[in-house]
Amino acid sequence: MSQRMRINGGIVDRSKPLSFEFDGKQLQGFAGDTLASALLANDIRFVGRSFKYHRPRGIFTAGPEEPNALVQLRRGPYQEPNTRATVAELYDGLHAASQNYRGSLNFDLMAVNDLFAPFLSAGFYYKTFMWPQAFWEKVYEPAIRASAGLGRLSGKDDPDIYDKGFLHCDILVIGAGPAGLMAALTAGRSGARVILADEDFAPGGRLNAETHEINGGDAQGWTASVLSELKSLPNVRLMKRTTVYGAYDHGVYGALEKSTDHLPMSGGKPRQILWRIYSKRAVLCAGATERSIAFGNNDRPGVMLAGAVRAYANRWGVAPGRNVAIFTNNDDGWRTATDLAAKGVSIAAVIDTRSGAAPADVAGATIAMGASIVDTKGRKGISAVTLSNGTTVPVDCLAVSGGWSPNVHLTCHQRGRPDWADEIAAFVPGKDLPVGMSVAGAAKGALTLAACLQEGAKAGAQAAQDLGLTASMAEIPEASDEASAITPFWHVTESKGRAWIDLQNDVTAKDVQLAKREGYRSVELLKRYTTLGMATDQGKTANVLGLAVLAEASGKSIPETGTTIFRPPYTPVPIAAFAGRSRGKDFRPTRLTPGHEWAAEQGAVFVEAGMWLRGQWFPKPGETHWRESVDREVLATRKSVGICDVTTLGKIDVQGRDAAEFLNKVYANGFAKLPVGKVRYGLMLREDGMVMDDGTTARLSENHFVMTTTTANAVGVFRHMEFCRQCLWPDLDVHLISATEQFAQYAVAGPNARKLLQKIVDPEFDISNDAFPFMGCGEITVCGGTPARLFRISFSGELAYEIAVPSRYGDGLIRALMAAGEEFDAVPYGTEALSVMRIEKGHPAGNELNGQTTARDMGMGRMVSKKKDSIGSILSERPELNREDGLALVGFRPVDRARQLKSGAHFIPKGKTPSLENDEGWMTSVAYSPTLGHSIGLGFIKRGSDRLGETIVAADPIRGESIEVEIVSPHFFDPEGERVRA
Amino acid sequence: MPDMTLKPKTPLNGYSETFGATVLEEIAGMGLVSIATPRGGVDALQGAVQSAYGCALPPTGSSTIGNDGAIRLMGLQPGQVFALFAYDGDTAVTEIEKALGDNGYYTDQSDSWAMLHLSGSAAIDALARICPLDLDASVFPDGTVARTVMEHMGVIVLREGTDGFLLMAARSSAANFLHAVEQSVRNVT
Repeated sequence: MSQRMRINGGIVDRSKPLSFEFDGKQLQGFAGDTLASALLANDIRFVGRSFKYHRPRGIFTAGPEEPNALVQLRRGPYQEPNTRATVAELYDGLHAASQNYRGSLNFDLMAVNDLFAPFLSAGFYYKTFMWPQAFWEKVYEPAIRASAGLGRLSGKDDPDIYDKGFLHCDILVIGAGPAGLMAALTAGRSGARVILADEDFAPGGRLNAETHEINGGDAQGWTASVLSELKSLPNVRLMKRTTVYGAYDHGVYGALEKSTDHLPMSGGKPRQILWRIYSKRAVLCAGATERSIAFGNNDRPGVMLAGAVRAYANRWGVAPGRNVAIFTNNDDGWRTATDLAAKGVSIAAVIDTRSGAAPADVAGATIAMGASIVDTKGRKGISAVTLSNGTTVPVDCLAVSGGWSPNVHLTCHQRGRPDWADEIAAFVPGKDLPVGMSVAGAAKGALTLAACLQEGAKAGAQAAQDLGLTASMAEIPEASDEASAITPFWHVTESKGRAWIDLQNDVTAKDVQLAKREGYRSVELLKRYTTLGMATDQGKTANVLGLAVLAEASGKSIPETGTTIFRPPYTPVPIAAFAGRSRGKDFRPTRLTPGHEWAAEQGAVFVEAGMWLRGQWFPKPGETHWRESVDREVLATRKSVGICDVTTLGKIDVQGRDAAEFLNKVYANGFAKLPVGKVRYGLMLREDGMVMDDGTTARLSENHFVMTTTTANAVGVFRHMEFCRQCLWPDLDVHLISATEQFAQYAVAGPNARKLLQKIVDPEFDISNDAFPFMGCGEITVCGGTPARLFRISFSGELAYEIAVPSRYGDGLIRALMAAGEEFDAVPYGTEALSVMRIEKGHPAGNELNGQTTARDMGMGRMVSKKKDSIGSILSERPELNREDGLALVGFRPVDRARQLKSGAHFIPKGKTPSLENDEGWMTSVAYSPTLGHSIGLGFIKRGSDRLGETIVAADPIRGESIEVEIVSPHFFDPEGERVRA
Repeated sequence: MPDMTLKPKTPLNGYSETFGATVLEEIAGMGLVSIATPRGGVDALQGAVQSAYGCALPPTGSSTIGNDGAIRLMGLQPGQVFALFAYDGDTAVTEIEKALGDNGYYTDQSDSWAMLHLSGSAAIDALARICPLDLDASVFPDGTVARTVMEHMGVIVLREGTDGFLLMAARSSAANFLHAVEQSVRNVT
């Protein structure tokens, strides 16, 4: 099919024809086309159905503000709905489809909605779906969901990759139109680090779309020479296809670069990059957006903004119609008439709402001054316009200009409010701009070329000077101030047909008036009630017009009516770009211990603990249930010896002359007198007296301690201690550094633990019970000279040690330990067995240290030393925390030993109903004890330590189970602790 | 009894890859020791450093090179520098103690960090994908050192020369860190 609407001129590359497909039709365009310009070149104007009424719609604009021409691009998993054809760069093989219809675009079954339009007015959801209530979920919502939305997602994983990045500059110039080019040039020549970002693939802004002259030559030539200078400056980064979508605090801007959207495939590179740009100054040169006029049936395919019509002619060499009418309230609209006429396109009529003399001659056109258009004809494309004077003019394209609105969006992203400027009948940037931002050119309301060039240069120079650079005002290129006078005109009130304001959301002038009558006087409420200004275009062509109609209906001025708040993003940003690489397992880092590879070789089942992966249990062949593995690991450890990777515990190196005093202050129990070569269990409280964390701390030398924390609290405890060191007691000589990563550490537990270790600890180190008693520690060497630290501590209740070596030897050590343990049938055990053994011993862990419990609750109240001050000591004395009937940690076992306890169950006295007032506490941890042969639990219950032997109900209403349990000591296993000292 | 000598492993098993003119490789065989300044002892430490290494203690954010290039001191926070030096043994702290005596508090960090060296024409563009810092030579010249976060992982960055960077990240997440840097290089080359 030939490109029958292609005319001369433009900046498309006619030597590079491109094939593409739209709704199954094979078409051709040229390099430099957008999908929209290529469709128009092929005389395709009807490209989609409207959101609510499914009315035929065409291409309305030539830029990012497009409300109508939303299409689905690409196929299969690459399919992307709701893409604006006006900014989709054409590439060879592009596949596009129209959307939002049932049946076909031409015969849309949903178009029946249009007949019901009187019932689908503003707020129809709220009025219609009220009754019966039960219908909402079952009938209304599914029906609404089925008909809502425009395009469709593929439902498959997106195969493209996305990236993020950080850029830094002195001056960020947003927009590469005439003002932006001058700003970047001036700032760039000053030596400032400049980023010039433009959403288009061809920088130049409106210069590409107009027939302006600069320095006596054509504007495109000037643009090319400026771009070439900018490219030659090493301090300037020119970013095409990059939309700055948001202004954030401290000069930070969000930008989306579409790196490969213009290519058939992304070739393994990120399709889009979400940039965070740090700037010292920003110059906003975002241009202006044209708006429409509300009149009857102003939404038909072929009705377009006047600036867009001449953009297609001038930039892309495409005539949007053969017989064009212009409807305008300003001088700029006339440029469309003269530009098109100069290209040989027939102009049928120019209708100007202003009275007086016509600003220009247009050969062969009917000129109607002081007139308006009241209606249009043509269902799938405009065929005629009816004027207010009653005449009807046949046309196939109507170019409308209601004036230009500066793109103030980014100036308002930090709650700035725009000001109304009467002289251009539009909002301009207000005074409260984001820090470091200035505005130049059309975005500031300077709508003529000479003013844009001048302002851009000034803003660029000013920004550079602000940063202490010497900026000479570049020679301002010569250009003229084209005619741009406007007399505001918003709404042809005598129109009988529906006068559309927001084409994307199908909002009419009548909807706005109705909303006002129903009491929605605030513009923010109007937006939510009518949906004016919502969705992908955020009302770029509609908002000001809607406000004007609301103002007209309320008898107020537009500035009195106000605007809605502009929020990022300026144009749609795919969620995939926000996600970047954070997909699947790349969502967050995983921490692996040096023994991980070995554990994986053993077939360990891993569990996430914080960001760590820890071996949960180590199944043996034939074991079909995790309990079999865990029971075996526990029994083998208690019988002989087991080895557990405890590398993940936090390790903090504490040094300094005041290290002991420091620990004495952060721990509730005493540490000042801990002898060198000894380890002590420590309990850390929060300032409010609740338990924060526990662990052991070893004194390696007079001024050197190493603390362990729980895995989960490692970072929090370190942060807390840094706060204490830097802010609470800055006079102490104490220094902290994390040593968690430095050491691989293994617990070796069980009656044969010492025998096993004696095989690998170098013989000069005596680790006999006398030489190395319970709670001893020391620096030793193993396996012929490898330095190690040995701690005789026990979480399992067995004779146990923890041995640490530099991480590089972690893999070697676990292999050596297992080899040395072979003769003792040593087993590796995981976090489940660890947990079983600590519950058997009654040691509290994360479930008990939940931030709501005190040392007293834990049965460790006497550990809070009153011979010294420590964090949390005073507030732990609060009466409420020391009630007679306070909670106490005790053990529980089922009366019927065959039953399983459940953690989370609440304790209710026998014979009472499970309710809040009868609640006496809760079960924190449970396990099946293979040692005892039945289920055991730990939990908090009121006056627990006085109630040993009592039977109570562990009620679990959520899981529908209640079982009788007996209150017992939490020390189920070896309560005297003989084994640990063996 | 099998031979019980423990074999050391590096965090990234000696990774090394070339992407055009850009090279990414693991650095091993280095000693890394944190040196904390005792309260009131900055002059003594400064003096010890000067006489042992012939360089000054670096202020936070910068580094100094001593002993004709054999050791680099990196200022990481007030009162804390890291000493980085070629060393293959297991007792890096002893090496520093020998030189500086009891003028500082020393903690071995040699096994705490995975070290990657990224160099070449794409280095800065690659790092821009994950590193929030401005690495332009005008603000991050040779020898600059900084702590930052890349892809949720804490990283120490040291600039070495015009387009070389030493990156240090936690050993436990070394594989993820390598993936992050490698992906960044792939995305820009």
